[in-house]
Amino acid sequence: MVMEDAEAPHHMLLLRNFMAQGLVHNQPLLYASPARDPRGFLGTLPSPAASKDNKSYETDPDQSKNLQEKGLRIAWQYKKYFGENQLNFDGQKGSLSLDGKHEYSNEFDLRKPLDRHFLNRQHVDCVSIQDSPDLSVLRDRCSTFSSQFPRNDGSVSCAGRIAIQSFCAPQCAYSNMEWDMLSFIRSLKSMVRSSNSVAIITFPPSLLSPSFCKRWQHMADTLLSVKAIPDEDKDLAQLLTGYQEMVGFLNVHKVARINTQVPVILEATTFSIKLQKRRYLVLECLNQAPVDGSSGTSYGTSGSCSGSSKAGNLDF
Amino acid sequence: MAESICRLLRDGALEGEHAPALTIKDSIASPFGFHVFAHVLSQLSSFILAGKSQSRGLVVVCFSRSPSFYLELLKNKGIDVVSSDKRIQTLDCYSDPLGWKSRLTETGNFMACSHETSISRTTNVFKDVKHMDKLYNSIVELGKGLVGGGKIRFSVAIDSVDEMLRHASMSSVSGLLSKLRSHDQVSSIFWLLHSDLHEAKVTAVLEYLSSMVAGLEPLHQPANGQRGDMENFSLIEHNLKKGKFHVRFKRRNGRVRVMVQFSLQLSEKERIDKANVVLPFEHQGNGKPIQIYDGRRSLADSKHERPVGATETVQTSEDSGRGEIIYYRDSDDEMPDSDEDPDDDLDI
Repeated sequence: MVMEDAEAPHHMLLLRNFMAQGLVHNQPLLYASPARDPRGFLGTLPSPAASKDNKSYETDPDQSKNLQEKGLRIAWQYKKYFGENQLNFDGQKGSLSLDGKHEYSNEFDLRKPLDRHFLNRQHVDCVSIQDSPDLSVLRDRCSTFSSQFPRNDGSVSCAGRIAIQSFCAPQCAYSNMEWDMLSFIRSLKSMVRSSNSVAIITFPPSLLSPSFCKRWQHMADTLLSVKAIPDEDKDLAQLLTGYQEMVGFLNVHKVARINTQVPVILEATTFSIKLQKRRYLVLECLNQAPVDGSSGTSYGTSGSCSGSSKAGNLDF
Repeated sequence: MAESICRLLRDGALEGEHAPALTIKDSIASPFGFHVFAHVLSQLSSFILAGKSQSRGLVVVCFSRSPSFYLELLKNKGIDVVSSDKRIQTLDCYSDPLGWKSRLTETGNFMACSHETSISRTTNVFKDVKHMDKLYNSIVELGKGLVGGGKIRFSVAIDSVDEMLRHASMSSVSGLLSKLRSHDQVSSIFWLLHSDLHEAKVTAVLEYLSSMVAGLEPLHQPANGQRGDMENFSLIEHNLKKGKFHVRFKRRNGRVRVMVQFSLQLSEKERIDKANVVLPFEHQGNGKPIQIYDGRRSLADSKHERPVGATETVQTSEDSGRGEIIYYRDSDDEMPDSDEDPDDDLDI
């Protein structure tokens, strides 16, 4: 689940990535949103970024110095259920590179829309939740969708993705039915658990009462939040390296740990959301801008190689 | 800051984008919301009538004041609504919001007052404010009546969301605002909210639905629990004359811009100083060499001096063969485009 910031649409970037990744992997998709015509959003899904030599879809290793949705890669652990021989991609359309490596997490070019043939397939379904008086329609659609991917013993042949955007948006007729919405989330969890599917729900926590906000957070297997960044903030610009490219922050609050007691300890839980060259979504650990070396204090955390303005004894 | 707001409403929406929406919110501690609403209304109206805005018409949805009040207000600002009825229409949700007068008239128990139901080319009476769907249809119908079909857009002003919430649920009001924002022909929309009349969730919802939130706050906060204190009375009185104007813009690049202004009106001295500022590249046109304003002092002060430093001289009519920069200001109120951002086309 992703907690939205009412002041910025960064959750849409995550949704686009999630949905586009599924379509590129030939995975059926169910998308629900409060818009009148949710299908319109599909036109904004990005296309996998073309590599430099145009021969494969592998990401440029030079770009892997950033974390590249590390938090999400941890969450989408479905990859371990795929056997080497299960995937059957068309080398031109899918994400499988010519040398047989599987690309579970593509880099997407936000300025290039996804090819139409991905969207014209039968297994892309959209639901508008704006006018529904209650959640029965959405529940039925999710149930029908997830029943296509029953969980059997053995390897997974196909997985499904459910994306629900702005679940408690105020224009939805059911938006004041807090217990019903909570009950729906519980149902969805059980559907997803008993099938080979994953679901992402985004919601604006400021529109829920505090107790229900807590309950919803508790229901999530993986919990993220996105936050807007203030524009032209001189203090932040001094504090953070690369502030100019940042559009917001992403926090990882909880990571799914199912059927295990071993906790996940992440190197970092706060990432900056950047749009590299205004086309590639990049998540990076926050780098503190270097402190003046002459004072003797240490430089910021990993990765920053910028020099300080004054040379001091401890400079290297 | 008000200019920034008005400019964004004037510029409207890009293709495929939701219309910019402004929430003006105030409270009893700083009750200037209606002044801001009136200012934005008159500015947008003048842009529309001058053909300088994306929208070609304005629908004013009147809940808390009569349509004639707004027509008078615009007239006092120099906007002739009567002759421009093809650009501005009001939807009267004030005179008979629940249709009671109509029903009483039908039963013969009530004589409708002539001035309230006077035939006006600019006013349409709406009598079913409990049904947001019907209100939505009426607003859109009025707007289309102003601008026609196709791709020409109109703007919508709602003078009181509080009144709407008296009669309809939050979700239906949200639905109406959201549908208006996503309508292909709506260029911009703005509304007024008295935040202390509602629970915090209502304000949160309306802020969620907006792309700009302009809040009015008191300059001085009186101490809690000491309401009877004379010092607090003078603070409250002071807060009734001045306030803090706090605006949050949700930008297309996904960032939030915050602006705060500590006085809602320019003082006389500030007005004079502002009028004396000569913008760079303003064409003087008197055949004499032009000094480009270096930002430090006005031309009037430096007329008889030869300032050293950054100023340059530019020849005018003698050098008509060379290129020159001629700058036309859109209006005297408009500030230089200091908030133009190259990232504005970055649409997340």
